[in-house]
Amino acid sequence: MQLSFSAEDEQFREEVAGWLQRNLTGEFEQLKFRGGPGDEHMFPQERKAWEQKLAEGGWTCVGWPRAYGGRGCSIEQQVIFFEEYARAGAPGRVGHIGEGLAGPTIIAFGSQAQKEKYLPGIVAGTELWCQGYSEPGAGSDLANVRTRARFDATRNQWLITGQKVWTSLAHESDYCFIIARTDPDSAAHQGLGFFLVKMDQPGIEIRPIQQITGTSEFNEVFFDDAECGADDIVGAPGEGWKVAMGLLGFERGVSTLGQQMLFQNELDEIVNIARDNGAARDPVIRQRIADAHIGLKIMRYNSLRMLSGSEDGSLQQEALIYKLYWASWHRDLGELAMDVLGMQSEILEAPPYELSRLQSMYLFVRSDTIYGGTNEIQRNIIAERGLGMPREPKVQIKVQDSQ
Amino acid sequence: MDFTFTEDQQLLADSVATFLHREVTPERIRASWEGEGSDTRLWQQLVELGLPAMLVPEEHGGLGMNELDFIQIAQECGRVALAEPLVEMAMIATPMLAQLAAGSQPCARVLQQIAAGEARVAIGHPLNPAVADAGIADWLLLASGREVHLVPSDAATLIRQDSVDPSRRLYTPEWDRTAPTYRVAGEEAGAAAWCAALNRGAVLNAALLLGLAQGMVAQSVTYAGDREQFGRPIGANQAVKHHMANCAVQAEFARSPIYRAAYAVAQDPARAHIAASHAKLAAGEAALLAAKNAIQVHGAMGYTWECNLHIWAKRAWALEKNWGDAGFHQERLHAWLLEDTTDIGAEHTFDYPAPEALDSAA
Ligand SMILES: Cc1cc2nc3c(=O)[nH]c(=O)nc-3n(C[C@H](O)[C@H](O)[C@H](O)COP(=O)(O)OP(=O)(O)OC[C@H]3O[C@@H](n4cnc5c(N)ncnc54)[C@H](O)[C@@H]3O)c2cc1C
Repeated sequence: MQLSFSAEDEQFREEVAGWLQRNLTGEFEQLKFRGGPGDEHMFPQERKAWEQKLAEGGWTCVGWPRAYGGRGCSIEQQVIFFEEYARAGAPGRVGHIGEGLAGPTIIAFGSQAQKEKYLPGIVAGTELWCQGYSEPGAGSDLANVRTRARFDATRNQWLITGQKVWTSLAHESDYCFIIARTDPDSAAHQGLGFFLVKMDQPGIEIRPIQQITGTSEFNEVFFDDAECGADDIVGAPGEGWKVAMGLLGFERGVSTLGQQMLFQNELDEIVNIARDNGAARDPVIRQRIADAHIGLKIMRYNSLRMLSGSEDGSLQQEALIYKLYWASWHRDLGELAMDVLGMQSEILEAPPYELSRLQSMYLFVRSDTIYGGTNEIQRNIIAERGLGMPREPKVQIKVQDSQ
Repeated sequence: MDFTFTEDQQLLADSVATFLHREVTPERIRASWEGEGSDTRLWQQLVELGLPAMLVPEEHGGLGMNELDFIQIAQECGRVALAEPLVEMAMIATPMLAQLAAGSQPCARVLQQIAAGEARVAIGHPLNPAVADAGIADWLLLASGREVHLVPSDAATLIRQDSVDPSRRLYTPEWDRTAPTYRVAGEEAGAAAWCAALNRGAVLNAALLLGLAQGMVAQSVTYAGDREQFGRPIGANQAVKHHMANCAVQAEFARSPIYRAAYAVAQDPARAHIAASHAKLAAGEAALLAAKNAIQVHGAMGYTWECNLHIWAKRAWALEKNWGDAGFHQERLHAWLLEDTTDIGAEHTFDYPAPEALDSAA
C-alpha cells in the first residue's frame, strides 16, 4: 500500500490544473459549474464548443489507449484529471455518452472499420452519442425490447422500426447506439442486435419529454424504417445482449471519480449555506452533514481501492454495489440540501420555474435511483449474483408484434 | 374519553370529500397554473358549500364551527391536491380574525364579508417564506414585528415569487407599516395571535400533508397494478409492495396525532404547541416518504411533468417546510421534553403543557 501520488503524477496534476485555468476563460467562463445533474439541458452549443476545446488540448478520452486517439493515461492520472476537472468547476460533459459508453464498447467489440469511422469524432468532441435502450415496455425488463431491425439486402441496410424512450440528449446527438430485435420470433435476450445509428435521417423522429424540473433532457425517439448500414451492427445479429451488457460494465468505470468530485462540490455548497444561514446550529443537520461526508469518503476510498487493483480502469466487481450506494447517498444529499435551506427551499430563482442549482439537484436526485438500473433491481442483482441467493421467479414472455 | 368524530362531523367530511373528488381533477389543477391562477368557479362552489364560513363565529354571520369539524376536510383537500387556498383562509386566517374581532372593528367587518362569501384573506406568518395567494385575496393579515396588520390587498405592493410547486402562488408584500389604520393588534396581543396561528397552521398543514401522502400512495398502488415488467405487474414484486406498505403505515399512524392536535387547537390554540408540533412532524415524515417511494415506484414516468404525481409530491415538499419546518418543531418538542418539570407519563397523555414550559418551547 502506498497512499499517495508520485512526483510525476503531481506534476501531471499541475499540468491539468494549469490548462484548465488558462482555458476555462472568456466565452467558457459562463460554463463554470454548469451542465451538472439537473442542469444538463443548459448551454448545449457552448458545451459542444468546450468539448472541442478539450480535444484540442488532448483532454478528451484521457483513459483510452493512444492507438485509438486517447491520451493513454494511467489510472492514477485519470483520477487526477477528474479531480482537477471538477475542482476547476469545468462544465458537465455533453460528450460523456460517447466517451464513456459508445467508444469503449466499439473499442472492445467493434470492427476495425467501426473504430476508424466512429472513434475520431468522439475524441475530437465533434460527434455526440445517445443511448437507445429503454422502450415503453422495456424499462427494468430491458430484454423485452420490441424495436425491430430487418435487413434489406437490396439496399444493403438494416431498417429499424420501433420506439425508444427516456433517451437522454437524443436531440443534441449525432448518433445513437440501440438494441433491437434482429430475429422477430425471438424472446428476451436472444435474437437482439447492437446498432450504431445516425440520428439525422428521415426515419427518425425525436420528441422531447418534459421532466419534473420543467426542462427536457430526455426524449421519445421513433424509428420508422430508419436506416443503419450493414457494417454498423456491433457483433453478429443475435449477439446484441452480450455487447449491451459489456457496455454496462463501462458505465461504472473511472468516470465515477469525476462524479464524486461533483458530489463534493455540492456538499461544500451545502455546508457553506448551513454555516451562513444558521442551519449548522441544528444538531440533527450537523449529524447529517457528517454522515454525508462519511458516505462520500467511503465511495471515494472504495473506488480508489478497486481501481488500483484493476487492469483497465473498469469496475466490474464494484459495479454491483456502487450504483445503489451512490444513488441513495445522492438522494439523501438532496434532502439534506433542502432541509438546510429550510423555508427558503421552496422559493425558485425566478419565474417561470427557474430552479437554483440545489433545487435542480434535489429534483434530479429522484431519477438517480431509477436510471441505469433502479435501486430495487440493483438489490436483486446484489442478492442473486453477488450473494448467490435464490432467484426471483422469472416469467418467460413472448415478445409480441409491436405493429 | 371518546377519540372519534361525531356523526355530523363524519357526514360533513364525507360529503365534502365526494365533492372534491368529483370536481378537483389534475386537469383542473394544471389549468390553474396558467396565468395568475385560481379557479374562480371552483372557489364559488366552495363558498356555496359554506366552507369558508365554517369557522366564522355565529355572531359574525358564520357557522361557528371549530377546527375539529374541519380537520378531515383539510385532509381531503390534501388528498386531491386542491390548489385553492381554502385551508389557509378558512382555518388559519379566519380564526385569527375571530380572535382579534373583540378589540377590532375591521376584523369583525372582514369576518362578516368572509361569512357572506365576499372576501378572501391571505395570511403571512413570519415562519413562512412568503404569503400564499395574496394575489387573489381582498385582505392580507401581515406581521410587522409582532404586531398584526390587516391590509387591503390593493394597498400593498405584491412581488410575485415562484414556488417549486406550480400550484402555489406566492408573494412578498410591501405596505406602509406606519399607517395606524392597518394595525389590528399591538405587540402583546399580536404575539399571542401569531402563536395561536402557528399552532393552527401546523395542525392544518399536517392534515394536508397526510392527505397528500394518502393520495400519492393511492396513485402508486394503482400504477403498480397496471404497469407490467417481466411479464407481471411491478406491484407483484416484494420490493415494490414494501415501499407502499411502509408509506401506508406512516400515514395511518400520523392520523391519531393530527386528530388529537386538532382537538387541542380547538380547545386552546395558544397552548397546543406540543400536540401541533407532533402532528406536523408525523405528517411531514409520512408525506416525504410517500413522495420518495411513489416516484420510485413510477420509475422514469414518475420523473416527468406529464405524470400527475409531481402535483402531489411538490406540494408535499413545499408544505413540509411551511408553518415551521421539521427542525423548528423538533426543537419545540426537545425544549419542552427536557425540562425537569415536564410530566410525560401515561396519565398525562391528554394534558396541556404548563404555561411556564411553553415559554421555553416558544
Ligand atoms: C433521467 C433519466 C435518464 C434516462 N436516460 C436514459 C437513456 O439515455 N437511455 C435509455 O435507454 N434509458 C434511459 N433512462 C431509462 C432508465 O434506464 C429506466 O427508467 C430504468 O431502467 C427503469 O425502467 P422504468 O422507468 O420503465 O421503470 P419500471 O421498470 O417500470 O419500474 C418501476 C418500478 O418497479 C420496480 N421494479 C420493476 N421490476 C422489478 C423487479 N423485478 N423487482 C423489484 N422491483 C421491480 C422498479 O424498481 C421501479 O421502482 C433514463 C431514465 C431517467 C429517469
